[in-house]
Amino acid sequence: MIDLERERRETQRELNKPDERPDPSLKITRRTFLHRSLVAGAVTGAATYGWFPLINTLNLAFGAQAPFSFAWISDTHLYPKTVNTRFVEKATRAVKEVQAMKPAADFLMFGGDLAQLADPVELRLGNDILKEITIKKHFIPGEHDWYLDMGKTWVSLFGNSPWTFEHKGVQFIGLDTVSRAPDYWSATKMSPKERMGHMATLDGSVAGPWAGVGSDQLQWLSKTLSPLSKDKPIVIFSHNPLYEYYPPWNFWVRDWRQVHEILKPYANVTNIHGHTHQVLYNEIGTMRSIGMLATSWPWPYAPQGVPQLTKPMIRANPGDYFDGVGWAKLNVTAAPKVEHEYMMWRKDVYAEAQVDSGTGDNDNQILRPRVADQMWPYK
Amino acid sequence: MRKILRWRGGLLLLAAFLFVFASRMDHVQAHKEKHTPEQLKAFQDVFMEQVRIGDLLFHGDGDTEKKFDVNLSKTGMACAMCHPFASDTHPHEFPKFQEQIQEFATLRDMINWCIENPNEGERIDVNGPAMKALEAYHYWSNKGSVLDPGKH
Ligand SMILES: [Fe+2]
Ligand SMILES: [Fe+2]
Repeated sequence: MIDLERERRETQRELNKPDERPDPSLKITRRTFLHRSLVAGAVTGAATYGWFPLINTLNLAFGAQAPFSFAWISDTHLYPKTVNTRFVEKATRAVKEVQAMKPAADFLMFGGDLAQLADPVELRLGNDILKEITIKKHFIPGEHDWYLDMGKTWVSLFGNSPWTFEHKGVQFIGLDTVSRAPDYWSATKMSPKERMGHMATLDGSVAGPWAGVGSDQLQWLSKTLSPLSKDKPIVIFSHNPLYEYYPPWNFWVRDWRQVHEILKPYANVTNIHGHTHQVLYNEIGTMRSIGMLATSWPWPYAPQGVPQLTKPMIRANPGDYFDGVGWAKLNVTAAPKVEHEYMMWRKDVYAEAQVDSGTGDNDNQILRPRVADQMWPYK
Repeated sequence: MRKILRWRGGLLLLAAFLFVFASRMDHVQAHKEKHTPEQLKAFQDVFMEQVRIGDLLFHGDGDTEKKFDVNLSKTGMACAMCHPFASDTHPHEFPKFQEQIQEFATLRDMINWCIENPNEGERIDVNGPAMKALEAYHYWSNKGSVLDPGKH
């Protein structure tokens, strides 16, 4: 963990320079609740716990030409229906809710990890479920979609990344942060299934630091951004967060420094990511980053590195599989601003007391990486 | 004279008792000898083998489940999918009142609750080899966390 500590200090130094913040006109509101059904009044409670700020809704000055909204679904982790239907139910619920949005969203962003083991059966099942959404759909892959056939089925169904398009004055970019893993399979002659198995084990050690943007895609990003004005509203979708949160679970991209170098001149960048299956918010340099919920299950917060700006989500009830999960709605209003709303399927999204918080365990929780995949006979 | 004899007899009896007691102790306390590095390594190896087995079970390894004749999940989900690095299992906070079970519970009780509920598997023998290995993995993973029994 010494390397990790060093990295983290470096991240702090690099990204949180005192004179470098997102454009100050991008105000974070102190609105406490997302769901209209909820009553206001917890501001003082949270302040007591010293959490800053209350980020339930983000209002970012954005400069869209006309109001519109888009929806985000990711991390459905579908198994074949013969194994379980739990995740199918939840993906279907999210899809129905997106389709029912009034007014309709302009598009759906699917953020990766549609399948659990990249099985074509799972990917096709996902494709079928998503067909119910009739608005335009955009896709980026997750690691669970890729490492059985190295993206063959995924690309045939959902196309290539990266991509970019302009929509009502906002530049949208989709990155592929999963396909550039260093080769961990050839030397030991792994079968495609074994390769996928290691990749699908979040806390495994065999697949290593697989999350990355890669030099070719960095070049593409820099070329794509170069004609844009420096205050152009930019939204970058990625499966992994574009900063360093917790490398052992690939809650990062390994080349976050280069990404930041490229984004530095742009004052109005928002990164929206999946993979972490939890409420997350961070500011790095001039970029804001929002972590989205999964529909499948919530990951616990990592034992270290939870961004200070994150107001943690409430501890999920392991007995209720509709808890701690959901999708997201983003309204780009005429103001102009972006309102981001977590559509979590329970009453409370944010913990008001540490005892109810998803990070509550971290008060007294020292963890170490697993060993069985490093001990003979290897598994 | 008789008094002395009786005293001597008593002394002999005491000596005999002490002898028997000491040899018993010798029998019970196998580590009266200093430990060799080989011995310590053997103890550690036994422990780490249990950690390894527990790790495999915790990560849904089918072969290991077969070997121990357990079925920890019927949903395709493994323990580690909600608890990477055995996080949020907090073995050091048991025993405690466990909300989900609505009872005072041990770590082993909670392991069985997770197997039966979110995982929809079959509960395992609370004193069986699979449970011991799972327990070993939980404690090993959380080593260094401060013992805090009863904490919610
Ligand atoms: Fe995921
Ligand atoms: Fe992922």
